[in-house]
Amino acid sequence: MGPNVVAELSEALEAPFAALGREPERDRGTVVISWPSVPVEIIRAAGFRPVVARGSGTPTPAADVVIEADVFPSRLRQLVEAAMTGRLADVAAVVLPRTSDADYKCFLYLRELVRRNVVARLPPVWLFDLLQSGGADVPAYDCERAHELLEKLATLSGLRPERRDLEQQIALANRARAAARRFDALRRDMPRIAGVEAVRLLGVFWEVDPERYVALAEAAVAVVADRSPLRGPRVLLAGAPVDSTALHAAIEVQGAVVVSELSPLGSGAAGPDVEFSAEPLQALVEHYRRESIDARMPVGALMRRMEDSLDGIDAVVVSLPPDDASFGWDYPRLRESLARRSIPHAVLRGDPASSTTAADRERLQTLLRAVAQTSGVRHG
Amino acid sequence: MAEKQLEATAAAAAFQKQWFADLRRRVFDERQPYALVQADVPFELFDLLEIPAVSNQWWSSLVAAKRQAPAFLDAMAADGLPEQLCRYCSLGFATTRYRQAGEAPWGGLPTPRLLCARLTCDCIHRVFSLWAEAFGAELFEIDHPGASELPPRWWELSRHRWRELVEPHRLDFVAATLERLVERLEAIGNRRLDRAALRERLERVNRQEEIFDAARKLIAAAPATPVRMTEQIANVMATQWVRGTEWALAHAEQFYAELKHRVDAGIAACPGEKRRLMWVGAGLWHDTDFYTAFEASHGAVFVWSMYLAFGPDGYIRYGFDDPIQALASRTASFNEYLHNPPWAAEWIVEQAREHRIDAALVLHPKSMKPSATGRRFIERALEEAGIPVLPIEADVVDARAWNPAATRQAVGAFLDERVSS
Repeated sequence: MGPNVVAELSEALEAPFAALGREPERDRGTVVISWPSVPVEIIRAAGFRPVVARGSGTPTPAADVVIEADVFPSRLRQLVEAAMTGRLADVAAVVLPRTSDADYKCFLYLRELVRRNVVARLPPVWLFDLLQSGGADVPAYDCERAHELLEKLATLSGLRPERRDLEQQIALANRARAAARRFDALRRDMPRIAGVEAVRLLGVFWEVDPERYVALAEAAVAVVADRSPLRGPRVLLAGAPVDSTALHAAIEVQGAVVVSELSPLGSGAAGPDVEFSAEPLQALVEHYRRESIDARMPVGALMRRMEDSLDGIDAVVVSLPPDDASFGWDYPRLRESLARRSIPHAVLRGDPASSTTAADRERLQTLLRAVAQTSGVRHG
Repeated sequence: MAEKQLEATAAAAAFQKQWFADLRRRVFDERQPYALVQADVPFELFDLLEIPAVSNQWWSSLVAAKRQAPAFLDAMAADGLPEQLCRYCSLGFATTRYRQAGEAPWGGLPTPRLLCARLTCDCIHRVFSLWAEAFGAELFEIDHPGASELPPRWWELSRHRWRELVEPHRLDFVAATLERLVERLEAIGNRRLDRAALRERLERVNRQEEIFDAARKLIAAAPATPVRMTEQIANVMATQWVRGTEWALAHAEQFYAELKHRVDAGIAACPGEKRRLMWVGAGLWHDTDFYTAFEASHGAVFVWSMYLAFGPDGYIRYGFDDPIQALASRTASFNEYLHNPPWAAEWIVEQAREHRIDAALVLHPKSMKPSATGRRFIERALEEAGIPVLPIEADVVDARAWNPAATRQAVGAFLDERVSS
């Protein structure tokens, strides 16, 4: 990948959320979402730019006073920190999806912090109540919530998005998804790009203008396709979905290559297109309900996704941080599935957005040593 | 274990044991269906369709109280399930999935015909899917739409103006889901739900909770609390699981009559009561003696927990034009009432004032994510109301990391330093 493309991708991944609060004019055109299970197509159709809250190792002293330890993932701690330190004061709105309980609780916390004047200036904070269970009444419920979200955003922007605006945004995002898929394909059988780099490009899918994203991704594909394949065991990152590169870096510094991750901020961005078979909003909510990888994704769907990701994988790293309340339950099933395929794995317990703990490093070393012994022949 | 001061408490325990024995007999001998459910589903529907419902939380608390939880929890850990996952909601599953690990109380759970859970927190879908798989039984899920509008002082709306308490789209969604549950139960029970009978049942639930409301007021106003918190819980919960039945109503009346007699006679649960405490959170089922441990040393009595207080405020609904909607209004927001800002904090402060609480112990259950949230808002609100708070880190069913001596010492120091008698 050329240096300019890398620089642009890195900036796009890390800058938008971190940069909030610096340019009020730019912030006014921004809607912050806590996780990409809020349809970005709706946000764009209403005239806004989506920015996704990101986890990081940056301390969150203000948030730590009001939110409990080991309950909220880093990205939500960072979101509350941004709210409490005034960095969200000028953004158009903050939208949190119902796709995890932590996001829902964070929504209630933010509202309460405003009500109690703990946070002086915060834009409207909304819940996007996307349900993911298989209940017969869920699709209609979700569709109504998408209508509501579009209405609220349109009221904020003063635009009146019509059906064709939504269809256009879906088409643009689908083209970006296709580009992401082409890029992601370069990671699999003979990986030509490290996970640390790859996840940057995949993660920015949600935030970068789709046309620009297509250009970036195509440029990246052209550069990466000419690279030599990377050596080292091919690792799938599973468990609680990651939203930063810290864990990729910790794995790859030991000689492995992360070739896929079950996260919308990684391989999940290169998912299937939104289908045009129904009304645009209906198509969007069906897509997001089915595809959103988060704590409330039905276990059957998640395990199918997992199974589909295992071909050609040498090892699996399962991230189950202290705030996880959901993915840990899948671990025995996952372990059995991996055992059937003779794929070794390691479970990491630390916060994937922060520096890897010594215990987790030890687990990674043990795993990768074992992989090297068993698959050394294949990878030379 | 502290002696029981109320005859009603022994009667409640005997009833539950007999009820469970009858359930096992019905299931094993008569091949009748029963359901295994989360505590916040509408039990009334199951009972009216003659599918008895066993509460997961009741079963977990029983396993913990019988000190049989550690073996099952160890088995879960040995299977690779991380320690931070919710133990309260999964201990019952563990007694099924890892049945060889220990001896479940009273012969253990028979295989249910149906499991039913509200998807309050993220783990519920996972736990109940695994549990249904372990039993080879069907699972019915009630999704939990999130609340965006939470009007202040919810308890003042919940009885007569409950339609204002839950946003219409949430109310309609939960009601529609309950209608589908009814269809499923009707198919299993091979009978139709009698809506008139449902109205009557809900009216009797109201009556039962009105009695508890009177009991709560009695406790709050009495010069010294006439009943220990543990006995409040034992009596209230035994009736809540079969709420609105003839036994439940009769038992609520017996409980109230005993309280009234004790108040009239000036009998205190702890003679020489000096400090009145509240417990915020689920019960510490593996160490209920904790709640009487400070009576002798500090004259400190636990007066309040959510279990008695929540019955009247959370369950009473007046106006049954559409009884399913009334049930839905109760079901839709359980977690918001009890755990989340702003509702939980303002209700608990109100209760603390009404009960003349001197200090609050607030449970921080690391493994129970819903109960682990909202704690700081509650603590801050209590402290702002002049009520000292001591956070207690513990799991309600998992005693393995619990240090009873150290915690009692910490509470004693807290009472000495922050709570005047």
